[in-house]
Amino acid sequence: MFGHKDKEVAFFGKITAGITHEINNVLAIIKESSGLLEDILAVTGEDTFPHKEKFKKALKRILGQIQRGVAITNNLNWFAHSSDHSPTSVDLNEVTEQMVLLASRFARLKNVGLETGPKDGPFIIKTHPVALQMALFISIEIFLDLITSGGKITLFPRKIQNNYVVGIHFEGMTADDANLPQAIITSDRWAFLQETMACLGGSAQADESASGILLYFTET
Amino acid sequence: MKEMKVLLVDDEEEFVKSLSERMEMRDLKSDVSLSGEQALKTMDEDLPDVMVLDLKMPGMDGMEVLRRAKKAYPGVQIIMLTGHGSEKDEKEARRLGVFEYLQKPVEFEKLMRVVTNAYKKKFESSMSAVTFAEAGEFDTARKILEDEKKK
Repeated sequence: MFGHKDKEVAFFGKITAGITHEINNVLAIIKESSGLLEDILAVTGEDTFPHKEKFKKALKRILGQIQRGVAITNNLNWFAHSSDHSPTSVDLNEVTEQMVLLASRFARLKNVGLETGPKDGPFIIKTHPVALQMALFISIEIFLDLITSGGKITLFPRKIQNNYVVGIHFEGMTADDANLPQAIITSDRWAFLQETMACLGGSAQADESASGILLYFTET
Repeated sequence: MKEMKVLLVDDEEEFVKSLSERMEMRDLKSDVSLSGEQALKTMDEDLPDVMVLDLKMPGMDGMEVLRRAKKAYPGVQIIMLTGHGSEKDEKEARRLGVFEYLQKPVEFEKLMRVVTNAYKKKFESSMSAVTFAEAGEFDTARKILEDEKKK
C-alpha cells in the first residue's frame, strides 16, 4: 500500500496545501479591508449616516465568517501537510482532535455530537498519518451509518497495557435499535477498517463492553 | 523617541496596502514593497526601523530577505508574517534573528503591539550605546553603534 500510493497522496496533499495558502491570503485581505472599514467607522464618532447600525452588523458578520474561514483553512492545511512525511511521529491526541474538527460537518449533518474524551498522554507513535486519519474517519463513518439522528461519538486515545489505543464510542440510539457491536462488525466499512489498520500494523476490534470500536496501534 | 519607520513587504498588494492604510489611521507611516528584491533596495535607500516581512513570495523569498537584511543591517527589527509556515521555517527564522514570527491573518492590534515592541528594542539598543559611552566603555558602545553607522 505504501509505495506509489504514497506519492499520489503526497501530490494531493501538496496541491491542497498550496490552495489553502491562497485561500488564507484571500481571507487576510478581506480581514484587513473590513478592519479598515471598522477603523473608519470608529473615527466617525457620533456622526451618523443612513443605515449605520445595519452597516456595523454586516461588518461584524464578515469578521465572524473570516474567523470561521481561517479555522477551516487551518484544519485543511494541517490535513494536507499530513502527507508530507510518511512514516512520521505523531501524537494520537493531536490527530484525534484534528479529525474531530475535520469530520464535524459529517456529524453535524446527522445531528450527532463529535468530540474527544479526557486528554491524557502524549501518546507518540511512528505511523503513516494519512492512513491513521483514514482509520479514524472510517470508524466515525461506521457509527454515522448506524445512527438515525442524535447522540454523541467520542474519540478517546489512551494506553492499554503496552498498546496505544484509540477508542471510538457512541452514546445514543441506533437505527432499528440494533445491537451495536454486532452492527459494527457486519457493517460495509468494517472490512475496509480492518484492512487499513492491518496496513498500519495494528488492528480494529469491536468493544462489546462500551459500544464502540477499539483501534490498536503498534509502531511501524 | 524619533518617528518610527516601518517597511511592509508582501507580494499580495491589496493586503499590504490595507495594512499600511490601517497603520496610517493610527498615525504610523509605512512604506510598502511588493517583492524581496524591492525590499532590499528600499532598505538601501531609506532604512526602516522595523520590517514586516512575508515568507512566501515569488523570486527572493522572505527567508533570504531576512538573511541578507540581518547581515547588512543587524539593527533593523524584522517581524515575519506568514500564511502557513512550517516549524522548520520558524526555527530557521529565529536562528537568523527574527524579532517575532506571526501567522497570517494576524489580529491587527496584536501586530501593532509587536511592531511597537520591536521598535522599542531597536531604540533601547541605540540608547544602550550612549549609556556605555558615558561609562567609558567605548568599545562596547562602538560595537552597538556599528548597526547605526551602516545607515
